[in-house]
Amino acid sequence: MLPRRHSFVYNLIIFILAQLVWLAVLLLWIYWYVKNNLIFEQVGEKISPQIVYDAPSVFPFVGGIVLLTGLSVSLVLIFRHLNIQIKINALYDNFIANVTHELKSPLSSIQLYLETLNSRDVPEDKRKEFYGLMIRDSERLKSLVNSILEIAAMDKKKIQRNFEIYKADEIIKKIVLESAEQFQVPENSIKFSGDAGCDILIDRNSIKTVFDNLVDNAIKYSLSEPQIEIKFKRYFKKIEIEFADNGIGIAHDEIKKIFQKFHRIYDKDIPNVKGTGLGLYVVKEIIKTHKGKVSGSSEGKGMGSKFKIELPIYTDKKKSAKEKKKG
Amino acid sequence: MNDEQLENSKILLVEDEENLAHGLEYNLTEEGYKVTRAKDGREAIKLFDENTFDLIVLDIMLPYFNGFEVAKHVRLKQPQMPILMLTARTQFEDRVKGLEIGADDYLTKPFHLKELLLRIKGMLRRKKWYQKIVSDSPVYKFGNNEINFENFKCKKDKNTFQLTSYEAMIMKYLIDNKDKVVSRKELLENVWNMNPEVETRTVDNFIVRLRKYFEDDPSNPKFIISVRSAGYIFQDV
Repeated sequence: MLPRRHSFVYNLIIFILAQLVWLAVLLLWIYWYVKNNLIFEQVGEKISPQIVYDAPSVFPFVGGIVLLTGLSVSLVLIFRHLNIQIKINALYDNFIANVTHELKSPLSSIQLYLETLNSRDVPEDKRKEFYGLMIRDSERLKSLVNSILEIAAMDKKKIQRNFEIYKADEIIKKIVLESAEQFQVPENSIKFSGDAGCDILIDRNSIKTVFDNLVDNAIKYSLSEPQIEIKFKRYFKKIEIEFADNGIGIAHDEIKKIFQKFHRIYDKDIPNVKGTGLGLYVVKEIIKTHKGKVSGSSEGKGMGSKFKIELPIYTDKKKSAKEKKKG
Repeated sequence: MNDEQLENSKILLVEDEENLAHGLEYNLTEEGYKVTRAKDGREAIKLFDENTFDLIVLDIMLPYFNGFEVAKHVRLKQPQMPILMLTARTQFEDRVKGLEIGADDYLTKPFHLKELLLRIKGMLRRKKWYQKIVSDSPVYKFGNNEINFENFKCKKDKNTFQLTSYEAMIMKYLIDNKDKVVSRKELLENVWNMNPEVETRTVDNFIVRLRKYFEDDPSNPKFIISVRSAGYIFQDV
């Protein structure tokens, strides 16, 4: 049976066949040229041996080979692009399946609790518990929808951000604790250290999305209760926020890929981690719009992960320049 | 069947979404069932091996072993165990795969609570009905064939093979109504408990499969005969 159309094997077969055809054409070309050359030489010698035989121009020969090689290189390029496209399509299909699952799970849960409350006589304490669970599910939905909308807007560069000046330590602590509460990480599992003592210009909602993703990852990729450590470091023009967790860590060859769109890590110790592969891509893009940088590191599997976020310090100079501009 | 008899039925609930599992457990317990929860495929298999259950509610996307793998394990050990697959996947291939492995029913998320509870009740009722009618005469022989309705094992000449629960129930229903015309609607009502998602064509597909198992020449059947625009008739010649 032939492999499925658009599959890698299918394209590989076509590519190999095309290369064989190309090689055959090249051989035929050389054969034709050499044979014609010999005939020309023999006939020429028979008709007028006195004519000094001049070697024919090699231009058509070399030109032909160059053109054929050009054809082969084009084929290789087409093959490469096609395979990249196939890979993107596969990632996209996987993304759609993951998003469907991520949307349907909290939606099913909300529907189940609403129908339960509607059809049963639920005691007051249970009612409160169900409301709480529904709020958590709707937060999960909101965060997923926000991520998708953020990606769409980012891709079209149409995102509206509301930048404001904040005290760096204060706002980051506040945002991290909000994320922790949303994902039900106990407050004593989060430690802050260091001191930034400066201002930053950020869009609060976007930075919340950044820490939502980091906290969510810390929970999902952790075999036990997550422990999160946030360190602030101040440099000359920037501050560094280090977000470290005690999760399963990241394998060395995965580090470079984690910020890629749709990329997801599979680990046999924690199989079937739910997600869309958008989280860290969104993080990277948001930090980029804040003129900052983000990088990931891990000392290896089982050693936890570290994310370093660098953001520019907002100074009075910038402030006055901004005010002047306004004025 | 009296619904009170179904109370205290033991249900293994395999769902890794904590919130959803909690809500399902609450509702099933309110219905009078005894619920045991498993949060992944590994735990589900362990619990299934160590306990007895009357029905399994099974998610597909699970950590360690997915729902299909769990269903396969269950089917090998207990062919009669009713399995209701509950999943976010809606692709046709997934449904077919689930039903082929032997899931008795398939409900996609998000679902209506009432529908889920009715289906579970229907499956439990069917299991009890089946157990009752099979206990009197578990083995039936016709032609060169032999069906054991307890473990779904069959013999044709020297070949042995295994039926799925639906295949066994269809055969049981046809055999119990030997020499009578059984309509597709009747089979749907009694075997599938009038599952609205099952089309009459599904019945025909099952009959084609059963003929392949039991007929010497499936295109010229001797036991399971089609009656034009009426249904099927089982004849033990």
